[in-house]
Amino acid sequence: MLLCGRGICTGTFAICRALDGRASANVSVAIVASLVGAGCLLGGIVLGIVRRVPLALGLQTAGVVLLGVAGVVLLVGGESVGAGFRSEVEPALGLDPLSGFFVVVLGVVAVPALAYARNSIPATAAGGAMAALTGGFVLAMAGLLAARDVSVFLACWELMTLLPAAAILLYARDAGVRRAVFVYLAVTHIGGVGVWVALLTLASHGAIGGVPVAGGLQALVAIAALVGFATKAGVMPFHVWLPRAHPVAPPHLSALMSGVMIELALYGLVRVLFEWLAPAPLWVGLLLLALGGLSALGGVVYALMQHELKRLLAFSSIENVGIVVLALGASLVLASRGETTWSALAFGAALLHVLNHAVFKAALFLGAGAIAHRVGSLELDRLGGLLRRMPWTAAGFAVAAMAIAGLPPLNGFASEWLTLQSLARLPLGQTDGTALVVAAALAALGATAALAVLCFVKVIGLVLLGEPRRPECETASEPPAGMRGAVVGLAALCVALGPAAGLILPRLVELAPGTVELRPAAEIAAPGTGSLPTLALTLALAAAILGLRRLRGTRRAPAAPVWASGQRAAPSLAWTSAGFTKTLRLALEGLLRPRREVETQVRGGVLLAITYRGAVPHLFDTRLYGPFERTAMRSARRARRLQSGNLRAYLLYLVVLVLGMLALVRAGVIG
Amino acid sequence: MTAQTLAAAAVQVIGGVALAPLLPGTIQTWKARLQGRRGPSPLQPYRELRRLWSRSRVTPVPSSAIYELAPLVSAASALLILLLLPVASTAPDWGLGNDAFVLVGLLALGRFAIALAAWDTGSGFALMGAGRDLTFAVFAEALLLVVLVLLALPAGSTDLVAMDAAAADGAAWASPAQWAAVAGLLIVALAETGRQPIDNPDTHLELTMVHEGPLLEYAGRDLALLQWTAAARHWIVLVLVAELALPHPGPFGVQLLALATSLAVLVPLLAMIETAQAKLRILRVPLLLGGGLVLCLMGLAANLLGVSA
Repeated sequence: MLLCGRGICTGTFAICRALDGRASANVSVAIVASLVGAGCLLGGIVLGIVRRVPLALGLQTAGVVLLGVAGVVLLVGGESVGAGFRSEVEPALGLDPLSGFFVVVLGVVAVPALAYARNSIPATAAGGAMAALTGGFVLAMAGLLAARDVSVFLACWELMTLLPAAAILLYARDAGVRRAVFVYLAVTHIGGVGVWVALLTLASHGAIGGVPVAGGLQALVAIAALVGFATKAGVMPFHVWLPRAHPVAPPHLSALMSGVMIELALYGLVRVLFEWLAPAPLWVGLLLLALGGLSALGGVVYALMQHELKRLLAFSSIENVGIVVLALGASLVLASRGETTWSALAFGAALLHVLNHAVFKAALFLGAGAIAHRVGSLELDRLGGLLRRMPWTAAGFAVAAMAIAGLPPLNGFASEWLTLQSLARLPLGQTDGTALVVAAALAALGATAALAVLCFVKVIGLVLLGEPRRPECETASEPPAGMRGAVVGLAALCVALGPAAGLILPRLVELAPGTVELRPAAEIAAPGTGSLPTLALTLALAAAILGLRRLRGTRRAPAAPVWASGQRAAPSLAWTSAGFTKTLRLALEGLLRPRREVETQVRGGVLLAITYRGAVPHLFDTRLYGPFERTAMRSARRARRLQSGNLRAYLLYLVVLVLGMLALVRAGVIG
Repeated sequence: MTAQTLAAAAVQVIGGVALAPLLPGTIQTWKARLQGRRGPSPLQPYRELRRLWSRSRVTPVPSSAIYELAPLVSAASALLILLLLPVASTAPDWGLGNDAFVLVGLLALGRFAIALAAWDTGSGFALMGAGRDLTFAVFAEALLLVVLVLLALPAGSTDLVAMDAAAADGAAWASPAQWAAVAGLLIVALAETGRQPIDNPDTHLELTMVHEGPLLEYAGRDLALLQWTAAARHWIVLVLVAELALPHPGPFGVQLLALATSLAVLVPLLAMIETAQAKLRILRVPLLLGGGLVLCLMGLAANLLGVSA
């Protein structure tokens, strides 16, 4: 706290100096907006503590909007405010265009999430604490983006991990949730060591805001940063905490965690790899491609096998992080080849996908929360028929699902197209051994896109379409205005960001290291492609659909029941999640190792009952982390024997320690 | 607009919209002849379309706006692809660009719409077909992307017009990557057109349907649109093979002639494959498509090693 306080003071001084005369109007607006915004967030936290829940959330919303305004101003103007990055461990705050972009992402998710929270958080003591924790979480994320030295960064980094954990425990505290939070904290902290090692090493060598390190140290920092940030971002194989923690969080926090928190880990990775280690060596790029390909493909395959909506969405976050990591890897490999334009475009693709993912994932998590608010459980096979019963929320949810499936003309397609193009650039530009890795990554991304279509067709179908499969769905109705508005607003953004991709991209490309300029346009006209005219494509599709609709006319016969081989379509004939993905599960049987148990009860030659159980185990849990966890617990039990509680034993330890130290001093190793 | 681009535009639109049904029609005729039957006339698809157009649409219970929209979205995405696709190395500027990966995205959009309509009615047969179709698409889309990158190697660009022009003189055939890519593209062509050995367009047994399954509920003009879309997919895929893979040297007019010749060769080829090859077991299809993918990666590797055919 003290640290943060000092940071804010230093930041304020820096800002006052900046305001002193020479600053442009943009900069002044950004400074005032960000300071007042942070103040509003602090006020929102205090109001939450004193249980003024609606007021607290309102003030927090105002704060986030102001921060977002500051972000937009900095991003558009390409200017920085406050302190610059420094290696000295002395609290400092500031914002530059890259931070500004991520602040915008934070704002885009936090505003609807807080609007949702206004309807979901009760005005009780627990509700007040939840509001305060939400505000604290948002402030910690903003602080991470504004951090300009290691101390503030690491302090905010830890707060960003701990506050949602506290909020989850406040929301639900049964044994399963406690276990999930334990795994979340354990994994992110063990992996998070990498962040500390990387940043402190960089700071001690003066590389933060100074001359990038090189040689063996560069390799050490790169590996540490990769492990640390990839764990927090949920990149496979460091992802095990994510599908546990995200589904148990309250919906507005799930949206913030999946939409912003894990992207902020990528922000850290970008800072380290693209600034403080620049130019990062080729192998880092290839490693990113491998990790990204694994995450994208693995994430979506496991998403497909889930039976619970929020868990499915959590796995889909892993997929999307994988896509961003693929683009970042492509950018590094292209940069090491000297293809600056495409390297910058790949970087722009990564940032564009960060924004897009934040928008549609927040819409999906909030939509899932709104659906759960009305019907309870989110088990996929027991929903259905919601499009007719809660049309606004369901339509928003469907649009977001279509966007995340990467279909034109929505926003997901633009960033996935540019990522694909960046990957294709590698074998196209100049052929060497890396081309093969890249072609495999390209195939992985292609399969990922098609799998995402399969996955979200399944989600829309099971959740929104067909007949309700549970009485609660039969009687469901629209959720309160805040929840509905949040989902619909984000879905509208999915539609708007699709055609607008060509306008946004040039700003993002400028954030890449190097100087590549792209003109804002209604299309993404990258060199060596047939160009993606986002706006024209949208309009042409709309025109074609409307034209064909006119052509089709309105003549229709009376309604008729669905064909089911002449029998009545009974609910027992309804298709399930497992049924729809069966072909894929069988095709990937060798990889996924699904479990299938069929028990038959036969008495006197008569079949009495058949029970069927099937599951797809998460192989990373059972094969990779399971043995690791068992070994760790076993060695912990062994180590516990040291703690005998016997005073003489402890005295013995002390004597041994002192003697050992003396021996080391004697040998000249220390001292 | 020069006369050449005008002619190209005419071929794109008239060919894609009006001549497309001729392709499945001719395949059926050829197939019948190869099997020793007289078979239907190549014009049969047109008669079907005329008949369907005069019938009314049926709305199944339950269904919603998604069921209504699906044929429109599917046909609209096919229409847009027709405009992206160059003929004879020429494409008029419709303002839609000519990117190969956009084409892949639009194909996925059509598939998505139909699969969603299957969920909307909740019909078991439709969902069985849609699930299979989307599963095959996982492997087909990966293969198609790698094939397109291999075919883009000579031009250094995924611009379809540039790829088309670079493939015109057949110089690319010196590279093993080209051979692998053409083999891969032919496999994709079978998958995207829904023909044997991947799908059987003639089947009347619901349990074996892939592409036809989700169309079961549709009738009248909806079904006509969907059948036209299926025909347009034949046109799209075969023109893609003819323009990107097969040589077609010379000036514009000669290239158009080469396109017609290529189509005239590809159609009996598909009919022959259908006659000679039984439908694959469902789980063999991913193996076929995955095999194509491995072949393409090997082609790329051979290209890197400097092997020439």
